[in-house]
Amino acid sequence: MGALEGGGERQSAVMAKNKKKHRKKRIGIRLDMTPMVDIAFLLLTFFMLTTTMSKPSTMEINLPPTETKVEVAESNLITLRVSEKNEIFWNMGVEKPEKISFDGLRKLLSEKLQANPKLIALLKVDRKAKYINMVDILDEFALTNINKFSIAPMQDEDKQIIEKLGG
Amino acid sequence: MPKNKKQRVGLRMDMTPMVDIGFLLLTFFMLTTQFRPPEIPEAQVILPTSHSDIKQPESDVMIITVNKDGGVFLSLDSQKLREALLTKKIEENWDKIDPKIKSQYSDPATMAKLVPSFPVQISDLSDLLMQARIRNPKLRTIIKGDREADYGPVMDIMDILQKVNITRFNLLTDLEMQ
Repeated sequence: MGALEGGGERQSAVMAKNKKKHRKKRIGIRLDMTPMVDIAFLLLTFFMLTTTMSKPSTMEINLPPTETKVEVAESNLITLRVSEKNEIFWNMGVEKPEKISFDGLRKLLSEKLQANPKLIALLKVDRKAKYINMVDILDEFALTNINKFSIAPMQDEDKQIIEKLGG
Repeated sequence: MPKNKKQRVGLRMDMTPMVDIGFLLLTFFMLTTQFRPPEIPEAQVILPTSHSDIKQPESDVMIITVNKDGGVFLSLDSQKLREALLTKKIEENWDKIDPKIKSQYSDPATMAKLVPSFPVQISDLSDLLMQARIRNPKLRTIIKGDREADYGPVMDIMDILQKVNITRFNLLTDLEMQ
């Protein structure tokens, strides 16, 4: 038994040697990569479709603190009022307000700014008007390079002025 | 000859470059994607558009959402701040909170930690804003209003901001395509 076992050992040693020889001869392993690549592309499409590239942009607004009061010459002041029917009225200084459509606003603002570079805009929006009006008008200010503007609450007087004009 | 044509030759194309590019793109998208926490349905808004191209800051932001019905929601990006500010508020109102939202959270503290935005009353807002600013002076305020929203609530919020001396704030908009 022992002898046999020994023989077996010898034999296995020989086999191992043979195996070693075999190992050294590398066989080009061809792994089927298809499933992995499939999964990779699946993930790729998933991430491509779920990614939202565009981050929302923001408009920056600076309001003066409540305590400060700035005196403004009336000739430099353009007031824009938005009524609760979302109509826009404008006037320079103490002139009578006039109605204007939103499309005409840009031209008006750039003309006024050209005529008077010290122009300051005052925006008064009615509580019941839509928020988007304010955003649109502020956007027009930015586009026409009116950097000095202020936002004020609509007073009753303002409402009366607009009502008189049929707003 | 016709017989020969029918014998198709196994076409082996080297796909390695394509797969390389595929993995490259995959890693790119994986790394750039950030998952937004699902917003509660009431606080979902359609933004107005503008031509402004200042991007929304990524950190230290406090977003005040105004939905189209005039509801006001506060969301803070830092979990710590959220926990500190909202836990008390949520504990006070625990019974009033919509059970559908409440069922997702086990107790007020976890809700404060995890909730993306929390409905607030305009009267509570100035207090919350002040506390938030004390805890993190770098905090930037953003108003996120729906395009259908009325101006009234936005005006109230701006009044409060002015009162608590947040004189610089941002309005969130989408980029107008023109």
